[in-house]
Amino acid sequence: MKELSDIDHQLIAKIKAGDERAFSTLVQHYEQTVWGFAFKLCRDKEKAEESYQDTFINVYRKIDQFDGRSKFSTWLYSIVAHNCMMKHRKRKLDSLLESLDDAPDGDDPQTQKQLASWNDTPIEKLMNGELKEQLNHAIQQLPDDYKMVFVLRDLEGRTAEETAKITKLSVSAVKSRLRRSRIFLRQQLHEFMTP
Amino acid sequence: MKHHHHHSHMLSCSEVYTHLCDNLDSQLDTESCRKIKEHLKECDNCSALLDSLKKTVYLYRNYPTPALPANIRSELFAVIKIGKEKSKKLSRH
Repeated sequence: MKELSDIDHQLIAKIKAGDERAFSTLVQHYEQTVWGFAFKLCRDKEKAEESYQDTFINVYRKIDQFDGRSKFSTWLYSIVAHNCMMKHRKRKLDSLLESLDDAPDGDDPQTQKQLASWNDTPIEKLMNGELKEQLNHAIQQLPDDYKMVFVLRDLEGRTAEETAKITKLSVSAVKSRLRRSRIFLRQQLHEFMTP
Repeated sequence: MKHHHHHSHMLSCSEVYTHLCDNLDSQLDTESCRKIKEHLKECDNCSALLDSLKKTVYLYRNYPTPALPANIRSELFAVIKIGKEKSKKLSRH
């Protein structure tokens, strides 16, 4: 996402002063980002549409609360994340995810099955309805904070520090959640991806 | 499948596990990374694990995001307008 330049900070000042056209420009500038992030978190078009609307309404109403000390995108991401998470039932898988910190025992036959190589079919060819369903099912099982960290770090390319600010977690908590999310998702896709 | 090598100078699978899961795309040029690279050359299990972790992220990155719905922006501005009119009415009373 392109960050706001100094000139665009004037845009925010104008919105704070009640300039409707400035708000419209801001929406045009950030709507793809909001839409993409909302869809990746919600995994559902209708919920992503609601989150898009709720997010920009929040921005419109709460722009005075943005003090410019953090990046505008950090503030915006945290609003989208909050709105998406409000629409998602919280699940508790924490203890299972913590168990993923231990390396698998390569000599155990059950683990051998888990470590089998994934097939080499080009991923573009695999991206069919069944795989999409599997990808959605797997990510929806993650607790909200894990899902947010995975999407922000691995899909949106935000830094660990920025992800920590958006999610209000420590940087080390971001790192452990990212690691466990990757392993958990890999496990969930394993059977689908092995020949 | 190749067997694990547990020579004293080589890292064990459990030693590289956390590093692999944390750094999928790291440039393997420091001393510790060189050791991990050595381990990966010898260990099919860890190579398969790293490959599948990378593919997992790749699959999610390539999951297509639908296009922004055509009327979404005009609907947003309509909702904001209704909200403003409501609050004007309330402030008059």
